Amino acid sequence: MRALLLLCAALLLGAGCATVRPEEKEFLADPAMSFTSGGMASRHEQHVLDNREGSSGAGTARGGGCGCN
Amino acid sequence: MQLASPSAHAPPRLLLAACLHFAIASAPAAAQLETTAGASIFSEDGGPLSMTVIVPEVAADVQITSGFAVNAGWTADIVSGASVAVVDQPALTVDAISTASVSDVRHVVGGGVTLSDGQNTLAANYRYGFENDYRSHAFDVSARTELYDRNTAFEITYARSFDEICDVPEASEPALQPRMPNSDGCFDDADEDRVTRDLALHTFQAAWTQNWTAILSTQLTATALLLDGFQANPYRAVRIGRTAAQEYHPENRARYAVGLAGRLWIAPLSGAVQPALRVYRDTWDIRSLSAELAYEQTLFAGLRLRARGRYYTQNGAAFYSDDYVLAPVGSYFTGDRELSPMSSWLVGGQLSFNPESDDQGEVLGFLSSLQLLVKGDLLKSSFPHFHYDRAPVPNDLALVGSVGIIASF
Repeated sequence: MRALLLLCAALLLGAGCATVRPEEKEFLADPAMSFTSGGMASRHEQHVLDNREGSSGAGTARGGGCGCN
Repeated sequence: MQLASPSAHAPPRLLLAACLHFAIASAPAAAQLETTAGASIFSEDGGPLSMTVIVPEVAADVQITSGFAVNAGWTADIVSGASVAVVDQPALTVDAISTASVSDVRHVVGGGVTLSDGQNTLAANYRYGFENDYRSHAFDVSARTELYDRNTAFEITYARSFDEICDVPEASEPALQPRMPNSDGCFDDADEDRVTRDLALHTFQAAWTQNWTAILSTQLTATALLLDGFQANPYRAVRIGRTAAQEYHPENRARYAVGLAGRLWIAPLSGAVQPALRVYRDTWDIRSLSAELAYEQTLFAGLRLRARGRYYTQNGAAFYSDDYVLAPVGSYFTGDRELSPMSSWLVGGQLSFNPESDDQGEVLGFLSSLQLLVKGDLLKSSFPHFHYDRAPVPNDLALVGSVGIIASF
């Protein structure tokens, strides 16, 4: 558990170093890089899976902003 | 009369300050309306068992200023088919499985508000769901912030749901509890053959999205879901001896899941690989793993294709047994096949089309954007340790299809 917390802390600190400049975000802004493509259809499918499997949770959240402008 | 201490006003003051901050920071802008309409169909068939669910949905999102938006929507589950009435009733062949017809419509209406200053977002939503035998009031609040040149995003969400389930009056012991034959008289206080049982749900979720390089992004999500109350299917009975009794589940369940998803841009193909992994565990001792791999690419001029495959596997709940007459497990019993050891494969595809805007920035002359979407998935499940007496699960193949349109004005 302590190792996991240390790993998370290291990753969080490392996140600040992994800066992608706005002019480098052309590919990140592509819809294929979104974590929420599918919208309504994906929600309906998740509803099906929640009812057809014994587990649920940890679905996708909205991604980070592009910041391209 | 008791006066509240100053500290008791702190949370409302903080909330008011946050709202004022977003209201002042948001610049007036022309109101923008986004409407969504679509429908999905779920179809599962096999032997005497069948289930068709049609899910229409309409929603509207109005961006009133750059920092303030409201949304409202309606969706429904129109359910019809035949489900199992008594699990493990003598059934040597699939056709001998005892069934009960199912027909119901669940409506969900709701709305919410979103406050944003560009980098920070607060949102709150409410939904009310109702059908013949189930009612639900659900609230959720979420906060989201973006850091490090918007390469890092954190989002936390709390959701609370107050559910009511119709049932028959409680017998002196679970083994004598009959199943509910139908939903007649549900939520009618004058009907002494029906009672209402409560279920409380608390959901906590945290998500961390990170852009690591110009072509790699990941999202880590953790969810805890706590349930307290009636969690069985009141219509389903399980043969536990000479008679069958309504399935009997524990009233408390804590469910934990952690998911990691990635997006990797493949420059030579101009597409993105989308892997995802999720692990799950709960206090009913179900552990599961799901792994998914998808690929999405723009084919030409706004037409995008996404193909995906997903594998899922889980063990059974601690109290699951395929035969409670010969091999009972503790004091609980269930006829839910999704609580048995199972696995499934899902393959599917999605086509979406975003017509390009003209020189005026409009689509079709009057829209600011338009998206059309068609999606289809095939779900094949395997229940090696679940039988209706000696008959295997006949309805193990399902089709999920969706069409949708999103238009912004």
